[in-house]
Amino acid sequence: MATDNTNAGGFGEVSRVRGIAFEYLSLGASVIGLVALGVLLVYVTIDAFDLANASPEWLLTYFLTLVVPFLAFCLYSASDPEVTRRALSALGGGLVAVAALFTAIETFVAPIPRLSWQLAYLFVVAMPVTAYLTYIGSRGRAGGVGFGLVGRLVGGAAIGLAVGTLFLVFDSLVWFLAYTLGVVPAAALYAYGRRRSVNWAMTAAVPVGLVGLVAAVFLRGVIVTYPSDLIIYVWTLAIPVAIAGGLVVADRGSRLAGAATGGVPLAVAVAGGFLAGGFGVPGPTALIVLVTVGVPTAVYLHRVIDEGDGLVGLALPVLLVGGALVGALVVEAWGVPAPDPWLDASFVTEAPSRTAEDAGLYPAIVGSVIIIALVAVLSFVLGVGTSVFLEEYTPESGILGSLTRLIQVNIANLAAIPSVVYGLLGLGLFANLLGFGLGTAVTASLTLSLLILPITIISAQEAIRSVPDDLRRGSDAMGATRWQTTKNVVLPEAFPGILTGTILALGRAIGETAPLIMIGAATTVFSAPASLFSRFSAMPMQIYAWANFPQAEFRYGVVAAGVITLLIILIGMNGTAILLRNRAERGS
Amino acid sequence: MTDSTESPDLQRRSGLRRLKEGTYGGLFAACAAVTLLTTVAIFVTLLSDAVVFFQEIPIAQFLTGTNWSPNPAGGGQAFGIIPLLIGTLVVTVTAAFIALPVGTLTAIYLSEYATPNARSILKPLLEILAGIPTVVYGYFALVYVTPALKATLFPEMSTFNALSASIMVGIMTIPMVSSISEDAMSAVPDDLRQAGYGLGATKFEVSTGIVVPASISGIASSYILAVSRAIGETMIVVVAMGAQARMPAVREAAFGIPIVNPADVLLESGMTITVAMVQIAGGDLTGGSIPYDSMFALGLTLFVVTLVMNVISDIIAQRYREEY
Repeated sequence: MATDNTNAGGFGEVSRVRGIAFEYLSLGASVIGLVALGVLLVYVTIDAFDLANASPEWLLTYFLTLVVPFLAFCLYSASDPEVTRRALSALGGGLVAVAALFTAIETFVAPIPRLSWQLAYLFVVAMPVTAYLTYIGSRGRAGGVGFGLVGRLVGGAAIGLAVGTLFLVFDSLVWFLAYTLGVVPAAALYAYGRRRSVNWAMTAAVPVGLVGLVAAVFLRGVIVTYPSDLIIYVWTLAIPVAIAGGLVVADRGSRLAGAATGGVPLAVAVAGGFLAGGFGVPGPTALIVLVTVGVPTAVYLHRVIDEGDGLVGLALPVLLVGGALVGALVVEAWGVPAPDPWLDASFVTEAPSRTAEDAGLYPAIVGSVIIIALVAVLSFVLGVGTSVFLEEYTPESGILGSLTRLIQVNIANLAAIPSVVYGLLGLGLFANLLGFGLGTAVTASLTLSLLILPITIISAQEAIRSVPDDLRRGSDAMGATRWQTTKNVVLPEAFPGILTGTILALGRAIGETAPLIMIGAATTVFSAPASLFSRFSAMPMQIYAWANFPQAEFRYGVVAAGVITLLIILIGMNGTAILLRNRAERGS
Repeated sequence: MTDSTESPDLQRRSGLRRLKEGTYGGLFAACAAVTLLTTVAIFVTLLSDAVVFFQEIPIAQFLTGTNWSPNPAGGGQAFGIIPLLIGTLVVTVTAAFIALPVGTLTAIYLSEYATPNARSILKPLLEILAGIPTVVYGYFALVYVTPALKATLFPEMSTFNALSASIMVGIMTIPMVSSISEDAMSAVPDDLRQAGYGLGATKFEVSTGIVVPASISGIASSYILAVSRAIGETMIVVVAMGAQARMPAVREAAFGIPIVNPADVLLESGMTITVAMVQIAGGDLTGGSIPYDSMFALGLTLFVVTLVMNVISDIIAQRYREEY
């Protein structure tokens, strides 16, 4: 802008019109795609939750009992009069502006389908303000504590459910033997070696563990009596998680506190697991979820109470649950007409159906979780291995250097191959030639792992490259070998970056549909897959199948609910990745 | 590193340790080899079945045939790729009309006009456009965009049509254009901009007259990458464009020159190469039939086209890059 306004001193007038017009044109271009996507997302949300049929009273009730207390909490946490003033004026001014503008458009231009001014206010003003205040509030002490607690509750439940889902296809008895014979002795040897500085014990840990795993596979058929599932899960999952949580706390504070943080959630979870059957909830699932929610929450609570700052934030979950309950009570008591959302509890727990009312996504969700778990392991191992090889093990010049460059160029080209071609690779190689079967979870996982491998490798390389060279040289100077430097210095330092890149790549894999069609994945299955080699469906496959249904209830209701479920899972994964990255950036 | 008795042992003679080092190095090399093997495997898989296909259907017939019907009800299969190429071309060109200008303007705004704050918000938001699953875009096109267009601009539009699919493909590829172009524009040294201001140029003249020409190689390579992405896009067109392989209706126009009305193509359903593959995959997948092999021939076509475009984009970015 330096020369725009200098018309003094004899220089000629410079027309600013063209420049300003161009600036606003380019600004418009950069937001037009986002605005289009935003409008589409608003409509799909309205359809999924049946908000078009929500009465204004219903919206107002929940706005007052749920949104207003949450905003008040954020403002309290931010405790900045300037923010409060701006937020209130945005909410108030937005109300007037949206109502006026909406009415004007409806009267003078054309009626806007399936949208009322209350909904428009909700999406255009209330949601952005809430998002902004959540961001501001989370930087305050109370808000940080509150969101940290809610994050652990929700994240723990999600991880617990995902782990429970994996045991639908993985044989829990093999896992029991492998854990008892392999993992426990290896961990014990390693801990002993570390504590007493006995080198041979640490070296022996890995072979002992491997022998135990192999023995487990062979003994699976030999041994006939096993403990019940619930006891297996207590022994193999709940106890180690509780011990890990206890150790974290014992490391920081007293042993007593450590025992309490590990022991109390463990006791609650075991009790919950045994009692859950009475409420019609599968015991093992209840046990796993209670442990994955309880232990991190207990560790977090101990830390927050220890620091003694922002304790008010601990009330946030109570505030949210209480607000929802009060809202439901008011709606019930006054008979406020409520919408009938397509996306509800039964949608995610039931099988697909020919009628829209009963249709559910459960088998597809299970299929997606299993595939993604396998893809995560495969692409993480391959991605880290390749990027370590390219960044740490190969020179930049010479014959080996040109091999490195060849691999690098090849990775860039792999990233640009259309996903449907990867599907053909899976069909021709994995499904038909190697005989993993059409549309099985194994075929799908292998195909998708190769598909996202370039993305994983490129992001892992960036993470490894950003490790300062001083650290490597320091390690070399102390006589470490290349592997020791990689293991002790480079990988720990680059780990958050690698994890972030992997999660983002997994987000890509979970939405891929074309390769799944090519390998013959089922569009609709009516029960969750029972093994890795049974036919399965995945969330995007089910959405694709439903989108072809001609009935309006499917097109506008069921599919919308499926889309929102998929997007929520995606947002959760990407949000976790971004949080990890931010935390790592703050830490270093 | 003399090996005399006084000097410390710097050679690490311990066999176990050297074995360990070698094992890990070998494991990492094996991981890297997987990426090369993937390329080879894709090529071999596509080629082996495509060769079988071309033994049944001559290549010339495949490349010049104007009828695509792999599984007709009454017999008489035909495997001509021309209608599929036309469908792919229509989607790609229409999407490019949206993605290229919008993406370039976005890149100019991000690199020249936006404040650091606005850039740090806009860039991750734009990446969201590329992160939405494509089947969701296809659903949006079918269920929201088509009815909206039908109600306002094109009442005669059919339910499955090329236009709304292309719009969605265009929106999806905006971030590809904008992020690569923006990188190229940000790499233009500030000296050039300052020199422009020194000559009395306005910000508009600096942006369009200096920055864009200086980064033209990066912009061009981003265009090619975006177009290659649009060619390979599958789910949006599968869901929203329908599956009718057809040649566009040729109308007799004035002066005897045959003319194709764009509306005939855009507002009707059509079929791209990717849709044809998905359609066959909906049937028998155990192998051995001509339609099965034809998928691989189509895949090979797609693979070669996108690979060539990537190589061209690489060459442009390398050769015409301005060195500063």
